[in-house]
Amino acid sequence: MFFNSLDFAIFLPIVFLLYWFMPNKSKASQNLILIISSFYFYSWWDWRFLFLLLFSTLIVYFAALEIEKSVSITSRKIWLWTTIIASLGFLGIFKYYDFFATSFADLVNGFGLNVSPLLLKLILPVGISFYTFHGLSYIIDIYFKRIKAERNIVDYALFVSYFPLLVAGPIERATHLLPQLTVKREFNFEKAKEGIYQIIWGLVKKVVIADTCAMYANAVFDHYTTMNSLSLILGAVYFAFQIYGDFSGYSDIALGTSKLFGIDLLKNFDHPYFSRDIAEFWRKWHISLTTWFRDYIYIPLGGSRGSKLFQIRNVFIIFLVSGFWHGANWTYIAWGFINALYFIPLLVLNRNRNNLDAFKISFNLNSFQILINITITFTITCLAWIFFRAKTIHDAISYIKRMVTDLHFASQYFSIERYNYEIIYMILLFVIVEWNSRYKIEPLSGKYSWLKVSLSIMAIIAFGIFTDYKNFIYFQF
Amino acid sequence: MKKFVAFIGKLLLIIVLSAVVLDVLYTAVYLKSSKRNKIEYVYNSKDKNFDVIFMGSSRTQNHMVAKIFNEKGISAYNFGMSGSKLDETALLLKLMLERNYKIKNIILDVDLNLNSNSKSNLVKAMYMPYLQCSQTIRNHYKTEEDYNKLVYIPFYRYIENDAMIGFREMFLSIVKKKSNALDNFGYFPLKRNGKNMSYDLSDYSPKRNFAYEEIKAICKKNNIHLIAITTPMCRECPSDEYFNNIKSVYPEVYNYENKVTDDKYFSSCGHMNVEGATLFTTIILNDFIQHKFNN
Repeated sequence: MFFNSLDFAIFLPIVFLLYWFMPNKSKASQNLILIISSFYFYSWWDWRFLFLLLFSTLIVYFAALEIEKSVSITSRKIWLWTTIIASLGFLGIFKYYDFFATSFADLVNGFGLNVSPLLLKLILPVGISFYTFHGLSYIIDIYFKRIKAERNIVDYALFVSYFPLLVAGPIERATHLLPQLTVKREFNFEKAKEGIYQIIWGLVKKVVIADTCAMYANAVFDHYTTMNSLSLILGAVYFAFQIYGDFSGYSDIALGTSKLFGIDLLKNFDHPYFSRDIAEFWRKWHISLTTWFRDYIYIPLGGSRGSKLFQIRNVFIIFLVSGFWHGANWTYIAWGFINALYFIPLLVLNRNRNNLDAFKISFNLNSFQILINITITFTITCLAWIFFRAKTIHDAISYIKRMVTDLHFASQYFSIERYNYEIIYMILLFVIVEWNSRYKIEPLSGKYSWLKVSLSIMAIIAFGIFTDYKNFIYFQF
Repeated sequence: MKKFVAFIGKLLLIIVLSAVVLDVLYTAVYLKSSKRNKIEYVYNSKDKNFDVIFMGSSRTQNHMVAKIFNEKGISAYNFGMSGSKLDETALLLKLMLERNYKIKNIILDVDLNLNSNSKSNLVKAMYMPYLQCSQTIRNHYKTEEDYNKLVYIPFYRYIENDAMIGFREMFLSIVKKKSNALDNFGYFPLKRNGKNMSYDLSDYSPKRNFAYEEIKAICKKNNIHLIAITTPMCRECPSDEYFNNIKSVYPEVYNYENKVTDDKYFSSCGHMNVEGATLFTTIILNDFIQHKFNN
């Protein structure tokens, strides 16, 4: 069930009504309604994978209780590592097995042997990377005694399976979400209103910006060998806005939906394309994943302690793992590697924490410098996105090579019967709106909110792409 | 909670009002537009007289040079539409009669469309702006699964068909940007020559086609001479079996699939270039003048 589908538009109000209007409202009944709804929501894709979700939930739930019960460090460690291996094992089999088997066979074949890999060709269960990471963060936090193990299985299952975040995050932390699930929620009009605004803006990002950009980006990437420099540059920009609109739009809808049930989720995006350097970009893009990697891999590896060489190693590990998390393809690993390369100079020069403050733009040299930095960061981000979007690394390199050598800048006509510049006005308008609301959760609240809401609804109806629901990119991860 | 219910109520009202306003706006624009495609051209015209019209899919649109007929003093127009199946062709004919067209002859390309009774969503989309205003179009789509949604939910028909009649097309209609669909009396020339062309018709088999039979019935009722034909395919397209079988289903169909065979006359395997279309239209014209279709 996609957030941009009619099915969800029917599902959400029903769950909302049951949740707030049932008799004998209590925390237990609220959670029960949410967990049943979440399982129903998940089984919409493929009910068979519900068993995998349940199994994964139960393993972590019981392991957490065992870790808490254990007195000896060895026993705690055994439970922790057994759970980690089991969780990553599921992920590995479903997501990475075929990739490793193929890559290994390619490597062996490179030495003149003839090996054909045994492939499983399994369908990737929706959201497996996300709920696996929920469980891992929980079990690691229990191990380090940051939180107490949750004894109520419904509450814990809801933490893992809560439908707004189940399939594409944000990747929640037990320390943030579980305490909210263990108390009865009271209806708060302002919070619910904020949630609705966030859902509407999320839909604008998804069905207006992302899905329209997708049409143009696909036309360029799928036929890049016939495209000129202008089309290839615009293709990369269109994809940058597609993936931002798609994923941040999804996150907005998830956060907004959750607010309707009185539950706050972690912020996942903070206007990343207005970042002044790549370090700031990574503090603002997919925040819940970045901080997960920081807390559970980077810091345990030593983080920013130790020699520069040691720190550089950690940065490479974190970015390569992040790339690999996105999918079993060398293109994602290359994307992670390129981002590490962008990051290293900042780390070496101790500038990776330079741009932590908010900024204002006025008519002075400093503001000009900020705008230049934002443009440079966006440009290098777009270059890295080419690797993320391309089918193979070879395609990505050929794309970039053609982009810088073709040097023809006439507007081209696409097979989708569109010109390659047509949505620039829409993107510019979107950038202006985002810029003006960069310190807000969404741009619709505040002065003239009804006018802004009306215009957004009109934009969704008139410009939205609804013919066959367009899948969210991050659902495949 | 009361405040929230009122808030949601307002929101729903905005959604409904937005849909109604947009529906009225889009429909008003399309009702006044007549330069973008053949359907709106027909809808916004009346009392036209033609000696011959050509109907069918892109294989009509790209193959029949109406100008050649007009130069001989035979008033002709090419109403072939890219992607059209016989169902949409039947509706176009009904729309013409609703707009009081007087037509003496129809040359209808039936060939590949006899393979199935399928419909074209792309061409159907172009009829949708007139759904509320044309009884003929409403009647035609009455049996469609989503008929009630299309008619009664404001703006639904534009959302469903946004690629064809969405904002972009509406905007181009507002600024009166002419498309090339109506140039050359409806004929759309293909200029390039194809290379390594081939097409596989092995899965094709002609079947009874309800839309074709409806066209036949309409023509009979309105005293229009219907000439059903097949048109040429490129050399690498073993097609004899399919086209011969057409004869067994509909013996009245005239076979022209082998009248132009050299690949230099083709732009793609199923579509001739300008030279091919000119040669083919001349052959059809000669047969038409010599009354070969009156048997």
